[in-house]
Amino acid sequence: MSNMLNVNNINVYYGQIHTLRDVSINVKKGEIVALIGANGAGKTTTLRTISGLLRSTTGSIEFMDKDISHTEAHKLVSMGIAHVPEGRHVFLQMTVQENLEMGAYTKASYTKEGLADVYERFPRLKHRKNQIAGTLSGGEQQMLAMGRALMSKPELMMLDEPSMGLAPILVQQIFDIIKELHDAGTTILLVEQNAEMALEIADRAYVLESGRIKLSGTGAELAKSDEIKKAYLGG
Amino acid sequence: MTFISNLINGISLGSVYAIIALGYTMVYGIAKMLNFAHGDVIMVGAYISYCVTAYLGLPPIVSILAAMVVCTILGMGIERFAYKPLRKAGSLAVLITAIGVSYLLQNVALLIWGSNPKSFASVISFSSIALFNGGLIITAESIVTVIACIVIMIGLTVFTKKSKIGKGMRAVSEDKDAAELMGINVNVTISVTFAIGSALAAIAGVLLCSAYPTLQPTTGAMPGIKAFTAAVFGGIGSIPGAMVGGILLGIIEIFSKSYISTALSDAIVFAVLIIVLLVKPTGILGKKIMEKV
Repeated sequence: MSNMLNVNNINVYYGQIHTLRDVSINVKKGEIVALIGANGAGKTTTLRTISGLLRSTTGSIEFMDKDISHTEAHKLVSMGIAHVPEGRHVFLQMTVQENLEMGAYTKASYTKEGLADVYERFPRLKHRKNQIAGTLSGGEQQMLAMGRALMSKPELMMLDEPSMGLAPILVQQIFDIIKELHDAGTTILLVEQNAEMALEIADRAYVLESGRIKLSGTGAELAKSDEIKKAYLGG
Repeated sequence: MTFISNLINGISLGSVYAIIALGYTMVYGIAKMLNFAHGDVIMVGAYISYCVTAYLGLPPIVSILAAMVVCTILGMGIERFAYKPLRKAGSLAVLITAIGVSYLLQNVALLIWGSNPKSFASVISFSSIALFNGGLIITAESIVTVIACIVIMIGLTVFTKKSKIGKGMRAVSEDKDAAELMGINVNVTISVTFAIGSALAAIAGVLLCSAYPTLQPTTGAMPGIKAFTAAVFGGIGSIPGAMVGGILLGIIEIFSKSYISTALSDAIVFAVLIIVLLVKPTGILGKKIMEKV
């Protein structure tokens, strides 16, 4: 089967800093692919480049057989990519429901159905639908960010550190939801610092180190690798 | 009676400031820049209205619509050619460009219409209302200005709360990157914001010159600065803030003119601004943004 997403040898600079060096990853339809690595390794940069917020100087990115290396970020949503950014970035001054409506900005006709689906998946959001998003807890905001992304009915969902800053019980809940979304047919590219949990649910994973892909393999393989154990899994 | 008359004049002048301030505050909210050329768009609007009635002899309502169309195109053009190329540049570069555009508009107006002031004929044809046997006269201009301000305010509030583009504008103003990730075209949103602000500037220009009929290339400069003050005063980025700030500023200005000193009135207006900002740096209705990490 051909790949849904192909990232081929991209190089990205932040001003003078060379943040991504010849990074290549691919995601097949129906997979969960994890991208793990230390802080500053380039995980977020990779996602931001895929979604068009940053540009690579060389290399190319293809999504469903189309070159998207130069496609504007706002056009990718209707093509089927949803990106849940690091730090959630929900619209704090808008209500929960308005946030969700923004998720369906390019698919307005799907709004009603999408809201029903998201509220079923996240009953807590339904209870708080008229509340301003800034008043939600961190876990609820993460759910909102994920629900908002689902509102565009994405083929590929990119999640950037969904567990960041959450209590362990909430982390487990978020990972359960990711598994559910995957079972429902969504392809997932997951960036995580919590390598242990990410490798547990991932079909495949890539390890980024200082802007380069250091290792790749199936989740189970990497979880067993000594190198990974030492560097990311605490022995 | 003088007090009430002053109050009405203040509210009326303040309504003009409020309409202009809306343009400042919306553009600031969305593009995070101070469009110092906004005041001069008012002047262009007033000149267009003047030309349409004086030279073409068309009715006032047509002149207002013509002014709105020209200013909308002008505003979008300014954004496209002067500000858009600087989207990624520092805020100082954008600010200097805005001041440059302001001088450009004033000087082009000077070139086209000359430095002699034109006497602007009021677009409002019905007469003033006299109350208490002539003890209190409310001009038709005041009434129309205040009504226009209220209608615009309500219209904009409904637009930003209910319409898809309006909600998109709020999303962009809060978080550009996140809005982009929702599929919102940020450039189009910014352009729409300039269009709305400039159309409002045209209305403000016509109303201002209907009440204060001297029209010259610098006509927009001072009201522009004052409306900017009003926007900051009310809390920049906030639509109700612009309204409250504008009206308060108008009242303060007229009161200081009639009870303290005409010469000092501008100084008093700006002194009040400084005091408000010292006490509440976000302005009267400015929001403190909560952030949860």
